Amino acid sequence: MLTYKQKHEQANREAIATVVGLVVTIVVWIVCGFGLAGLDVQVFHTPIWVVGGTVGTWVCAIIVSAVLARRFFVGFELDDEPSASLEGGADE
Amino acid sequence: MNSIAGLLPVVVFLVVALVIAVFARRQAATDSGGFVSEYFLGNRSLGPFVLAMTTIATYGSVSSFVGGPGQAWVIGWGWVYMATVQVTALFLLYGILGKKMALVSRKLGAVTIIDVIRERYQSNALAAIAAIILVVFFATTMIAQFVGGAKLFEAVTGYSYVMGLAIFGIAVILFTTIGGFRGVAFTDTLCGIAMILGIVVLAGGILSAGGGYENIMDTIAANHPEMMEPLSGGNMPIGLYFTQWLLVGVFTFCLPQSVVRTMSYKDTKSLHRAMVWGTVICGAMMIGVTALGVLSAGVLTGDLKADYGGSVDNIIPTAIVQSLPPWLAGIAIIGPIAASISTVSSLLIASSSAIIKDLWLHHVEAKGERAPEKTVVRSSQVVTLVIGVVVFVLSIVPPDVIWKINMFAFGGLETAFCWVLVCGLFWKRANKTGALLSMGGGTLAYCVAMALGFKIAGLHQITIGITVALVLMIVGSLVTKPTEAKALEAFFPEK
Repeated sequence: MLTYKQKHEQANREAIATVVGLVVTIVVWIVCGFGLAGLDVQVFHTPIWVVGGTVGTWVCAIIVSAVLARRFFVGFELDDEPSASLEGGADE
Repeated sequence: MNSIAGLLPVVVFLVVALVIAVFARRQAATDSGGFVSEYFLGNRSLGPFVLAMTTIATYGSVSSFVGGPGQAWVIGWGWVYMATVQVTALFLLYGILGKKMALVSRKLGAVTIIDVIRERYQSNALAAIAAIILVVFFATTMIAQFVGGAKLFEAVTGYSYVMGLAIFGIAVILFTTIGGFRGVAFTDTLCGIAMILGIVVLAGGILSAGGGYENIMDTIAANHPEMMEPLSGGNMPIGLYFTQWLLVGVFTFCLPQSVVRTMSYKDTKSLHRAMVWGTVICGAMMIGVTALGVLSAGVLTGDLKADYGGSVDNIIPTAIVQSLPPWLAGIAIIGPIAASISTVSSLLIASSSAIIKDLWLHHVEAKGERAPEKTVVRSSQVVTLVIGVVVFVLSIVPPDVIWKINMFAFGGLETAFCWVLVCGLFWKRANKTGALLSMGGGTLAYCVAMALGFKIAGLHQITIGITVALVLMIVGSLVTKPTEAKALEAFFPEK
């Protein structure tokens, strides 16, 4: 079982992995959109850059989230330590 | 024309939403987490599907359904390409802030993000400023949502703008007041489903009216070849892509109405699943609905000024009316109306929590007193109701161009909260002075730049706000004393 500190360290690693995922998505968005805009290729009467830049980026984002969730993110208890309450207005 | 067939699906939808809110209220009564935690955070009980849907429904607004597609009708596929940046919204939110906010808020027993900010920076002044900024920008966004929904209602059903505003305005105020955060999350889920349904129905109508997808594409290519280019013949400059990446892509994870959802989920498994499911649904919705704007250009081939009232906000309502029979039009407008009310309900409950929890209850507790629960219950509901009514009244005289108002509020909230949240959670050296300067100075710089129309290199004013906020956070924190280590234990634990 992770300690509170270890959970924070894990959350920090997950945040960094997420930023890397963002960079990957941005690169795919540029390459599959602007990068393909010069090609005179169409799919169902739609320019290839439209398909790549929109559907391609979307598929990339799904893969990024799935990889993050399954490979980089770790499940742990969020409530394993007693907490001081900031919640007010409990008195009857 | 006044169409009962167009009105009926909307009324049925709103009644279902009200029933769900009542159900959520009853379910809440059986939980034992305390009223404030339940009403403003749903007792941290959200599972993956509801978490994903409430985040998407809050994020996707009437602007996504009306203003954005309207612009796409003018610009073409470049606008859809730009809207695609929104596919990152959910994995950024859950991946960067999801675990940290859940851990810290549970450790502190925090119910609002302002609770977290107050504890992190040990500053009541910062918390008060944050609450005020939040309420002001939320109110602005809510007005845009009400106006967008009511305009659409008027255009599609033929009933008056005020009647539309009254019908769904009263419904959303009621079900938010009754259901609290849990009710909002549940109705958001219903709204998310309705949004998808609305997109599918409208897509069917447009494709049918335009003689099929390929025919529509050929019409657009023949009439407006520039709509098939990413820069749209100069209508979509690179700078616009860049700033939209910041405004509706990268920095959306700092929007307080989204961040509060990272404090409300049940367990890490729910977060992981919501991240994948949410990215699938968010992409389908945002790309799909914006693409409908482009496809409308194959059906609505007239002139914007002469034929469609001179506003891009009229495009989608016109497309609905012209491509669908009244009863299907009634179903199609549930989508944008759902987008509108789900955003309003989330902002309404968050505004109410800022006033009740962050300002009033904190003030009472600071005096060493505790408010009786009955008073808290009543006050929470009354404040939610009052904010809703004020926004409703302000919406009776509608402003123009919804997506611009929405973008203004987006930029303001991102500027105010981005570095305060990110540095608060990830940079130990960030302190009260830096946070106060960042939130106050950044927001001021953004609003002044917006008011004067001042831009640097033609970029949207978000670049000014967010840069000023970052510089002030760093300088302010480095030139003043660090926060005491003891106060940071929940945020940067040593063991």
